[in-house]
Amino acid sequence: MSLNFFDINAFIGRPKGKARFNPIASSAELLGAMDTSGIQKAVLWHISQYDYSAVEGNRILNEMVLKTDRLFGCWTLLPPQTGEVITDDFFAGMERNRIIALRAFPDFHRFFLSRTVFNGFLEEVVARRIPLLLSLARGISWSGVYNLLQDFPDLTCILCEIGLANRFSWPLLEHYPNVYLETSLLSYAAEGIESTVRRFGARRLVFGTGFPERYHLAAIMGLLHADISNVDKEKIACQNLDNIISGIKYDK
Amino acid sequence: MKRNGVKMLAFCHHAALFAPDIGNQANIEAVRLFPKHLRAYCAVNPNYPEIVKKDMRTFASYPDVYIGFKFLADYHECPLMDGRYKPAWEYADTKKLLVLLHTWGGSHYDGPEQIEKAAREYSGAKILLGHSCHGEWDKAIELAKTFPNIHLELCAVMDERGILERFVEKLGSKRIVFGTDFPWFNHHYYIGAIINAGLCDEALHDVFHRNAEKLLGVLF
Repeated sequence: MSLNFFDINAFIGRPKGKARFNPIASSAELLGAMDTSGIQKAVLWHISQYDYSAVEGNRILNEMVLKTDRLFGCWTLLPPQTGEVITDDFFAGMERNRIIALRAFPDFHRFFLSRTVFNGFLEEVVARRIPLLLSLARGISWSGVYNLLQDFPDLTCILCEIGLANRFSWPLLEHYPNVYLETSLLSYAAEGIESTVRRFGARRLVFGTGFPERYHLAAIMGLLHADISNVDKEKIACQNLDNIISGIKYDK
Repeated sequence: MKRNGVKMLAFCHHAALFAPDIGNQANIEAVRLFPKHLRAYCAVNPNYPEIVKKDMRTFASYPDVYIGFKFLADYHECPLMDGRYKPAWEYADTKKLLVLLHTWGGSHYDGPEQIEKAAREYSGAKILLGHSCHGEWDKAIELAKTFPNIHLELCAVMDERGILERFVEKLGSKRIVFGTDFPWFNHHYYIGAIINAGLCDEALHDVFHRNAEKLLGVLF
Protein backbone atom coordinates (compact mmCIF):
# COMPACT_ATOMS: atom_id res chain seq x y z
CA MET A 1 0.00 0.00 0.00
CA SER A 2 1.10 3.59 -0.39
CA LEU A 3 0.50 6.18 2.29
CA ASN A 4 0.57 9.95 2.41
CA PHE A 5 3.19 10.71 5.03
CA PHE A 6 3.07 13.91 7.07
CA ASP A 7 6.17 14.10 9.27
CA ILE A 8 5.61 15.88 12.60
CA ASN A 9 9.22 15.62 13.71
CA ALA A 10 11.91 16.90 11.36
CA PHE A 11 14.49 19.59 11.90
CA ILE A 12 16.69 21.75 9.80
CA GLY A 13 19.97 23.57 10.35
CA ARG A 14 23.52 22.82 11.38
CA PRO A 15 23.96 21.72 15.02
CA LYS A 16 26.55 23.48 17.18
CA GLY A 17 28.39 20.25 17.92
CA LYS A 18 29.95 17.70 15.65
CA ALA A 19 27.07 16.01 13.81
CA ARG A 20 27.53 12.42 12.76
CA PHE A 21 24.65 12.81 10.33
CA ASN A 22 24.60 15.13 7.33
CA PRO A 23 22.75 18.24 8.48
CA ILE A 24 20.05 19.69 6.25
CA ALA A 25 20.86 23.33 5.62
CA SER A 26 17.93 24.51 3.49
CA SER A 27 14.26 23.82 2.91
CA ALA A 28 15.07 22.84 -0.70
CA GLU A 29 17.43 20.17 0.59
CA LEU A 30 14.83 18.92 3.03
CA LEU A 31 12.16 18.77 0.32
CA GLY A 32 14.56 16.81 -1.89
CA ALA A 33 15.10 14.23 0.85
CA MET A 34 11.35 14.07 1.49
CA ASP A 35 10.68 13.48 -2.21
CA THR A 36 13.23 10.66 -2.31
CA SER A 37 11.59 8.99 0.68
CA GLY A 38 7.98 9.67 -0.34
CA ILE A 39 7.07 12.10 2.42
CA GLN A 40 4.58 14.74 1.33
CA LYS A 41 4.54 17.25 4.18
CA ALA A 42 6.50 18.02 7.32
CA VAL A 43 6.40 20.12 10.45
CA LEU A 44 9.90 21.28 11.13
CA TRP A 45 11.88 23.18 13.69
CA HIS A 46 15.35 24.69 13.46
CA ILE A 47 18.20 23.30 15.56
CA SER A 48 19.23 26.86 16.46
CA GLN A 49 15.96 27.18 18.38
CA TYR A 50 17.56 24.73 20.81
CA ASP A 51 21.33 25.17 20.42
CA TYR A 52 21.53 28.94 20.16
CA SER A 53 18.51 31.16 20.73
CA ALA A 54 14.79 30.52 20.70
CA VAL A 55 14.20 34.01 19.33
CA GLU A 56 16.73 33.85 16.51
CA GLY A 57 15.94 30.22 15.80
CA ASN A 58 12.23 31.00 15.45
CA ARG A 59 13.09 33.81 13.05
CA ILE A 60 15.34 31.64 10.87
CA LEU A 61 12.70 28.94 10.84
CA ASN A 62 10.07 31.36 9.53
CA GLU A 63 12.20 32.00 6.47
CA MET A 64 12.54 28.30 5.78
CA VAL A 65 8.87 27.46 6.22
CA LEU A 66 7.46 30.26 4.14
CA LYS A 67 9.26 29.03 1.02
CA THR A 68 6.82 26.18 0.37
CA ASP A 69 3.34 25.09 1.35
CA ARG A 70 4.58 21.56 2.09
CA LEU A 71 6.33 22.72 5.22
CA PHE A 72 4.90 23.97 8.50
CA GLY A 73 6.79 25.41 11.42
CA CYS A 74 7.11 24.89 15.11
CA TRP A 75 8.19 27.76 17.40
CA THR A 76 10.17 27.31 20.58
CA LEU A 77 8.74 28.77 23.81
CA LEU A 78 10.43 30.64 26.62
CA PRO A 79 8.67 31.95 29.78
CA PRO A 80 6.22 34.82 29.06
CA GLN A 81 7.68 36.94 31.87
CA THR A 82 10.90 37.65 29.95
CA GLY A 83 9.06 38.83 26.84
CA GLU A 84 11.62 37.19 24.55
CA VAL A 85 9.30 34.96 22.53
CA ILE A 86 5.78 35.54 23.83
CA THR A 87 4.68 38.95 22.66
CA ASP A 88 1.25 40.57 22.20
CA ASP A 89 0.83 39.41 18.62
CA PHE A 90 2.17 35.90 19.26
CA PHE A 91 -0.80 33.93 17.92
CA ALA A 92 -1.31 36.22 14.92
CA GLY A 93 2.39 35.78 14.20
CA MET A 94 2.00 32.03 14.31
CA GLU A 95 -0.75 32.11 11.70
CA ARG A 96 1.16 34.55 9.50
CA ASN A 97 4.24 32.32 9.53
CA ARG A 98 2.50 28.93 9.06
CA ILE A 99 3.45 27.87 12.59
CA ILE A 100 1.17 25.06 13.65
CA ALA A 101 2.88 23.81 16.81
CA LEU A 102 5.09 24.83 19.69
CA ARG A 103 8.08 23.20 21.32
CA ALA A 104 9.74 23.71 24.67
CA PHE A 105 13.08 22.54 26.05
CA PRO A 106 12.69 23.58 29.70
CA ASP A 107 15.58 21.62 31.20
CA PHE A 108 18.04 22.81 28.56
CA HIS A 109 16.77 26.41 28.41
CA ARG A 110 16.52 26.60 32.22
CA PHE A 111 12.91 27.22 33.14
CA PHE A 112 9.95 25.30 34.54
CA LEU A 113 7.18 24.31 32.17
CA SER A 114 4.51 24.78 34.82
CA ARG A 115 1.39 26.73 35.70
CA THR A 116 3.41 29.14 37.84
CA VAL A 117 5.38 30.19 34.78
CA PHE A 118 2.93 29.75 31.88
CA ASN A 119 -0.48 30.13 33.52
CA GLY A 120 -2.51 32.38 31.20
CA PHE A 121 -0.46 31.70 28.13
CA LEU A 122 -0.81 27.94 28.18
CA GLU A 123 -4.52 28.31 29.03
CA GLU A 124 -4.80 30.13 25.70
CA VAL A 125 -2.75 27.44 23.94
CA VAL A 126 -5.17 24.86 25.32
CA ALA A 127 -8.22 26.89 24.26
CA ARG A 128 -6.79 27.45 20.78
CA ARG A 129 -5.94 23.74 20.53
CA ILE A 130 -2.38 24.39 19.48
CA PRO A 131 -0.19 21.30 19.91
CA LEU A 132 2.88 21.45 22.11
CA LEU A 133 5.66 19.05 21.07
CA LEU A 134 7.95 17.71 23.77
CA SER A 135 10.97 15.56 22.97
CA LEU A 136 12.04 13.09 25.60
CA ALA A 137 15.44 13.07 23.90
CA ARG A 138 15.91 16.83 24.22
CA GLY A 139 15.24 19.17 27.07
CA ILE A 140 12.55 17.52 29.19
CA SER A 141 12.20 14.47 31.41
CA TRP A 142 9.18 12.24 31.97
CA SER A 143 8.59 13.84 35.35
CA GLY A 144 8.54 17.24 33.63
CA VAL A 145 5.88 15.97 31.23
CA TYR A 146 3.82 14.52 34.07
CA ASN A 147 3.98 17.79 36.04
CA LEU A 148 2.97 19.85 33.01
CA LEU A 149 -0.04 17.69 32.22
CA GLN A 150 -1.15 17.74 35.82
CA ASP A 151 -1.24 21.54 35.51
CA PHE A 152 -2.82 21.59 32.03
CA PRO A 153 -4.76 18.33 31.58
CA ASP A 154 -6.48 19.43 28.37
CA LEU A 155 -3.31 20.47 26.57
CA THR A 156 -2.80 19.01 23.11
CA CYS A 157 0.60 17.48 23.65
CA ILE A 158 2.63 15.36 21.21
CA LEU A 159 5.39 13.39 22.89
CA CYS A 160 8.34 12.82 20.58
CA GLU A 161 11.27 10.40 20.63
CA ILE A 162 9.82 8.17 23.28
CA GLY A 163 11.29 4.74 22.47
CA LEU A 164 10.64 1.79 24.75
CA ALA A 165 8.57 3.66 27.31
CA ASN A 166 5.07 2.20 27.65
CA ARG A 167 5.31 2.35 31.42
CA PHE A 168 5.79 6.11 31.17
CA SER A 169 3.65 6.93 28.14
CA TRP A 170 0.58 4.72 28.55
CA PRO A 171 -0.61 6.22 31.86
CA LEU A 172 -0.56 9.60 30.11
CA LEU A 173 -2.62 8.25 27.19
CA GLU A 174 -5.05 6.81 29.72
CA HIS A 175 -5.46 10.03 31.73
CA TYR A 176 -5.18 12.81 29.16
CA PRO A 177 -7.30 12.57 26.00
CA ASN A 178 -5.26 15.13 24.06
CA VAL A 179 -1.91 13.43 24.47
CA TYR A 180 -0.43 11.86 21.32
CA LEU A 181 2.73 9.84 20.70
CA GLU A 182 5.05 10.53 17.79
CA THR A 183 6.12 7.31 16.07
CA SER A 184 9.81 7.61 15.11
CA LEU A 185 11.26 5.84 18.13
CA LEU A 186 7.99 4.14 18.96
CA SER A 187 8.41 2.17 15.74
CA TYR A 188 12.03 1.48 16.74
CA ALA A 189 10.64 -0.63 19.57
CA ALA A 190 9.38 -4.05 18.50
CA GLU A 191 5.55 -4.03 18.70
CA GLY A 192 5.70 -0.39 19.81
CA ILE A 193 3.07 0.77 17.34
CA GLU A 194 0.98 -2.39 17.42
CA SER A 195 0.65 -2.63 21.19
CA THR A 196 -0.26 1.05 21.54
CA VAL A 197 -2.89 0.84 18.80
CA ARG A 198 -4.40 -2.28 20.38
CA ARG A 199 -4.63 -0.55 23.76
CA PHE A 200 -5.57 3.04 22.80
CA GLY A 201 -6.54 3.05 19.12
CA ALA A 202 -4.70 4.56 16.16
CA ARG A 203 -6.03 8.07 16.87
CA ARG A 204 -3.35 8.63 19.50
CA LEU A 205 -0.34 8.22 17.20
CA VAL A 206 1.24 10.73 14.84
CA PHE A 207 3.88 9.84 12.25
CA GLY A 208 7.35 11.33 12.74
CA THR A 209 10.89 10.54 11.62
CA GLY A 210 13.44 12.54 13.62
CA PHE A 211 15.13 13.31 10.29
CA PRO A 212 17.96 14.20 9.68
CA GLU A 213 19.27 12.69 12.89
CA ARG A 214 17.48 9.46 12.07
CA TYR A 215 16.47 7.73 8.84
CA HIS A 216 13.24 8.49 6.97
CA LEU A 217 12.91 4.90 5.78
CA ALA A 218 13.28 3.46 9.26
CA ALA A 219 10.13 5.26 10.40
CA ILE A 220 8.33 4.59 7.12
CA MET A 221 9.10 0.86 7.18
CA GLY A 222 8.17 0.72 10.85
CA LEU A 223 4.68 1.99 10.05
CA LEU A 224 4.17 0.39 6.63
CA HIS A 225 4.92 -3.08 7.99
CA ALA A 226 3.24 -2.68 11.36
CA ASP A 227 0.70 -5.40 12.06
CA ILE A 228 -2.32 -3.05 12.11
CA SER A 229 -5.07 -2.28 9.59
CA ASN A 230 -4.50 -0.08 6.56
CA VAL A 231 -7.13 2.31 7.89
CA ASP A 232 -5.12 2.70 11.09
CA LYS A 233 -1.92 3.22 9.10
CA GLU A 234 -3.56 6.05 7.17
CA LYS A 235 -4.68 7.70 10.38
CA ILE A 236 -1.17 7.57 11.79
CA ALA A 237 0.62 8.54 8.56
CA CYS A 238 -1.25 11.82 8.12
CA GLN A 239 -4.93 11.97 9.09
CA ASN A 240 -4.43 12.44 12.81
CA LEU A 241 -2.07 15.33 12.27
CA ASP A 242 -4.36 16.86 9.62
CA ASN A 243 -7.16 16.72 12.19
CA ILE A 244 -5.05 18.33 14.90
CA ILE A 245 -4.08 21.16 12.55
CA SER A 246 -7.61 21.74 11.32
CA GLY A 247 -8.72 22.13 14.95
CA ILE A 248 -6.31 25.01 15.65
CA LYS A 249 -8.03 28.34 16.34
CA TYR A 250 -5.67 31.22 15.71
CA ASP A 251 -8.48 33.75 16.34
CA LYS A 252 -10.12 33.78 19.72
CA MET B 1 10.30 -13.32 12.16
CA LYS B 2 8.29 -14.74 9.28
CA ARG B 3 6.40 -11.47 8.87
CA ASN B 4 9.66 -9.54 8.94
CA GLY B 5 11.49 -11.80 6.48
CA VAL B 6 14.07 -12.93 9.01
CA LYS B 7 15.35 -16.41 8.16
CA MET B 8 17.37 -17.14 11.26
CA LEU B 9 17.80 -15.55 14.67
CA ALA B 10 20.95 -16.00 16.74
CA PHE B 11 20.01 -14.99 20.26
CA CYS B 12 20.73 -15.34 23.92
CA HIS B 13 17.77 -15.81 26.25
CA HIS B 14 17.21 -13.05 28.82
CA ALA B 15 16.89 -15.65 31.53
CA ALA B 16 20.29 -17.06 30.61
CA LEU B 17 21.78 -13.58 30.98
CA PHE B 18 19.84 -12.22 33.92
CA ALA B 19 18.59 -15.20 35.95
CA PRO B 20 21.47 -17.53 36.80
CA ASP B 21 19.02 -19.89 38.49
CA ILE B 22 17.42 -20.57 35.10
CA GLY B 23 20.55 -20.10 33.03
CA ASN B 24 21.20 -21.64 29.64
CA GLN B 25 18.41 -24.17 29.95
CA ALA B 26 16.17 -21.38 28.59
CA ASN B 27 18.33 -21.21 25.46
CA ILE B 28 18.24 -24.94 24.93
CA GLU B 29 14.46 -25.17 25.26
CA ALA B 30 13.81 -22.21 22.94
CA VAL B 31 16.07 -23.49 20.16
CA ARG B 32 14.63 -26.97 20.34
CA LEU B 33 11.13 -25.58 19.87
CA PHE B 34 12.12 -23.90 16.59
CA PRO B 35 15.30 -25.63 15.38
CA LYS B 36 15.02 -24.36 11.79
CA HIS B 37 15.04 -20.71 12.80
CA LEU B 38 16.87 -20.32 16.11
CA ARG B 39 20.41 -20.79 17.40
CA ALA B 40 21.73 -19.60 20.75
CA TYR B 41 24.80 -18.06 22.25
CA CYS B 42 25.67 -19.82 25.49
CA ALA B 43 25.54 -17.12 28.18
CA VAL B 44 28.62 -16.77 30.34
CA ASN B 45 28.03 -15.06 33.67
CA PRO B 46 31.45 -14.88 35.34
CA ASN B 47 29.92 -14.17 38.73
CA TYR B 48 29.05 -17.86 38.94
CA PRO B 49 32.17 -19.84 37.97
CA GLU B 50 30.56 -23.10 39.00
CA ILE B 51 27.75 -22.57 36.47
CA VAL B 52 30.25 -21.53 33.79
CA LYS B 53 32.22 -24.70 34.50
CA LYS B 54 29.10 -26.83 34.13
CA ASP B 55 28.05 -25.05 30.92
CA MET B 56 31.53 -25.51 29.46
CA ARG B 57 31.46 -29.19 30.31
CA THR B 58 28.15 -29.71 28.52
CA PHE B 59 28.59 -27.19 25.67
CA ALA B 60 29.66 -29.84 23.13
CA SER B 61 26.52 -31.86 23.85
CA TYR B 62 24.41 -29.17 22.20
CA PRO B 63 25.74 -28.74 18.66
CA ASP B 64 22.15 -28.24 17.54
CA VAL B 65 21.71 -25.30 19.96
CA TYR B 66 24.89 -23.28 20.42
CA ILE B 67 26.85 -21.25 17.93
CA GLY B 68 29.17 -19.66 20.49
CA PHE B 69 29.14 -17.55 23.65
CA LYS B 70 27.65 -14.30 24.84
CA PHE B 71 29.41 -12.06 27.38
CA LEU B 72 27.42 -9.23 28.93
CA ALA B 73 30.30 -7.66 30.81
CA ASP B 74 28.72 -4.25 31.56
CA TYR B 75 25.70 -5.84 33.21
CA HIS B 76 27.62 -8.61 34.96
CA GLU B 77 30.13 -5.97 36.11
CA CYS B 78 33.15 -8.02 35.22
CA PRO B 79 35.72 -6.92 32.60
CA LEU B 80 36.16 -9.05 29.51
CA MET B 81 39.68 -10.11 30.41
CA ASP B 82 38.81 -11.24 33.92
CA GLY B 83 40.09 -14.77 34.50
CA ARG B 84 36.60 -16.08 35.14
CA TYR B 85 35.79 -15.80 31.43
CA LYS B 86 38.96 -17.70 30.53
CA PRO B 87 37.49 -21.19 30.07
CA ALA B 88 34.98 -19.82 27.55
CA TRP B 89 37.52 -17.62 25.78
CA GLU B 90 39.94 -20.52 25.43
CA TYR B 91 37.25 -22.86 24.17
CA ALA B 92 36.06 -20.34 21.59
CA ASP B 93 39.64 -19.65 20.58
CA THR B 94 40.44 -23.31 20.01
CA LYS B 95 37.19 -24.17 18.27
CA LYS B 96 37.04 -20.88 16.31
CA LEU B 97 33.60 -20.09 17.71
CA LEU B 98 31.66 -16.86 17.75
CA VAL B 99 31.76 -14.72 20.89
CA LEU B 100 29.10 -12.01 20.97
CA LEU B 101 30.16 -9.21 23.27
CA HIS B 102 28.00 -6.42 24.58
CA THR B 103 30.34 -3.47 23.92
CA TRP B 104 29.96 0.18 24.87
CA GLY B 105 32.15 3.23 24.40
CA GLY B 106 33.85 4.36 27.59
CA SER B 107 33.11 1.16 29.47
CA HIS B 108 35.78 -0.27 31.75
CA TYR B 109 34.13 -3.66 31.37
CA ASP B 110 33.65 -4.00 27.62
CA GLY B 111 35.05 -0.83 26.04
CA PRO B 112 37.76 -0.70 23.34
CA GLU B 113 40.66 -1.31 25.71
CA GLN B 114 39.29 -4.61 26.97
CA ILE B 115 38.27 -5.68 23.47
CA GLU B 116 41.74 -5.03 22.12
CA LYS B 117 43.33 -7.26 24.77
CA ALA B 118 40.80 -10.03 24.10
CA ALA B 119 41.21 -9.89 20.33
CA ARG B 120 44.99 -10.09 20.67
CA GLU B 121 44.94 -12.94 23.17
CA TYR B 122 42.20 -15.01 21.51
CA SER B 123 42.83 -14.51 17.82
CA GLY B 124 41.06 -17.76 16.93
CA ALA B 125 37.70 -16.63 18.33
CA LYS B 126 35.34 -14.80 16.00
CA ILE B 127 34.51 -11.73 18.06
CA LEU B 128 31.29 -9.91 17.31
CA LEU B 129 31.07 -6.44 18.85
CA GLY B 130 27.42 -6.03 19.84
CA HIS B 131 26.57 -2.28 19.57
CA SER B 132 30.01 -1.68 17.95
CA CYS B 133 31.48 0.12 20.99
CA HIS B 134 28.45 2.41 21.03
CA GLY B 135 29.57 6.03 20.86
CA GLU B 136 33.24 5.25 20.26
CA TRP B 137 32.55 4.50 16.63
CA ASP B 138 36.03 5.28 15.33
CA LYS B 139 37.56 2.98 17.94
CA ALA B 140 35.31 0.17 16.69
CA ILE B 141 36.49 0.79 13.13
CA GLU B 142 40.11 0.85 14.27
CA LEU B 143 39.70 -2.42 16.18
CA ALA B 144 38.13 -4.13 13.18
CA LYS B 145 40.92 -2.87 10.95
CA THR B 146 43.61 -4.10 13.33
CA PHE B 147 42.11 -7.49 14.18
CA PRO B 148 40.70 -9.66 11.39
CA ASN B 149 38.72 -11.67 13.96
CA ILE B 150 36.62 -8.63 14.95
CA HIS B 151 33.24 -7.95 13.36
CA LEU B 152 30.87 -5.04 13.98
CA GLU B 153 27.20 -5.55 14.84
CA LEU B 154 24.52 -2.91 14.27
CA CYS B 155 22.16 -3.08 17.21
CA ALA B 156 21.56 0.41 18.68
CA VAL B 157 23.76 1.78 15.92
CA MET B 158 20.97 2.45 13.44
CA ASP B 159 18.96 4.87 15.58
CA GLU B 160 21.33 7.58 14.42
CA ARG B 161 21.97 8.52 10.80
CA GLY B 162 25.53 8.44 9.55
CA ILE B 163 27.28 5.74 11.59
CA LEU B 164 26.81 2.81 9.22
CA GLU B 165 27.82 5.07 6.33
CA ARG B 166 31.07 5.80 8.19
CA PHE B 167 31.69 2.12 8.96
CA VAL B 168 31.30 1.15 5.32
CA GLU B 169 33.40 4.05 4.08
CA LYS B 170 36.32 3.28 6.43
CA LEU B 171 36.07 -0.48 6.72
CA GLY B 172 34.10 -1.79 3.76
CA SER B 173 31.02 -3.97 4.12
CA LYS B 174 32.55 -7.40 4.76
CA ARG B 175 32.85 -7.17 8.53
CA ILE B 176 29.49 -5.63 9.42
CA VAL B 177 26.67 -7.83 10.62
CA PHE B 178 22.93 -7.12 10.83
CA GLY B 179 21.55 -7.27 14.37
CA THR B 180 18.60 -5.68 16.17
CA ASP B 181 18.32 -6.71 19.83
CA PHE B 182 14.88 -8.07 18.94
CA PRO B 183 12.48 -8.29 20.78
CA TRP B 184 13.50 -4.91 22.16
CA PHE B 185 13.74 -3.36 18.73
CA ASN B 186 11.85 -3.68 15.49
CA HIS B 187 13.29 -5.52 12.48
CA HIS B 188 11.56 -3.25 9.98
CA TYR B 189 12.91 -0.11 11.57
CA TYR B 190 16.45 -1.48 11.18
CA ILE B 191 15.84 -2.77 7.68
CA GLY B 192 14.51 0.65 6.61
CA ALA B 193 17.43 2.43 8.24
CA ILE B 194 20.02 0.22 6.55
CA ILE B 195 18.35 0.57 3.13
CA ASN B 196 18.28 4.35 3.67
CA ALA B 197 22.03 4.49 4.40
CA GLY B 198 22.83 4.59 0.67
CA LEU B 199 24.86 1.36 0.47
CA CYS B 200 25.24 -0.41 -2.89
CA ASP B 201 23.37 -3.70 -3.41
CA GLU B 202 26.47 -5.81 -2.80
CA ALA B 203 27.12 -4.10 0.51
CA LEU B 204 23.47 -4.53 1.50
CA HIS B 205 23.69 -8.27 0.85
CA ASP B 206 26.89 -8.44 2.91
CA VAL B 207 25.33 -6.66 5.86
CA PHE B 208 21.89 -8.25 5.78
CA HIS B 209 22.96 -11.90 5.42
CA ARG B 210 26.24 -12.85 3.72
CA ASN B 211 28.56 -11.86 6.54
CA ALA B 212 26.45 -13.68 9.11
CA GLU B 213 26.27 -16.74 6.85
CA LYS B 214 30.05 -16.77 6.65
CA LEU B 215 30.41 -16.50 10.41
CA LEU B 216 27.92 -19.28 10.99
CA GLY B 217 29.51 -21.35 8.21
CA VAL B 218 28.30 -24.84 8.82
CA LEU B 219 24.66 -23.79 9.18
CA PHE B 220 24.44 -22.38 5.66
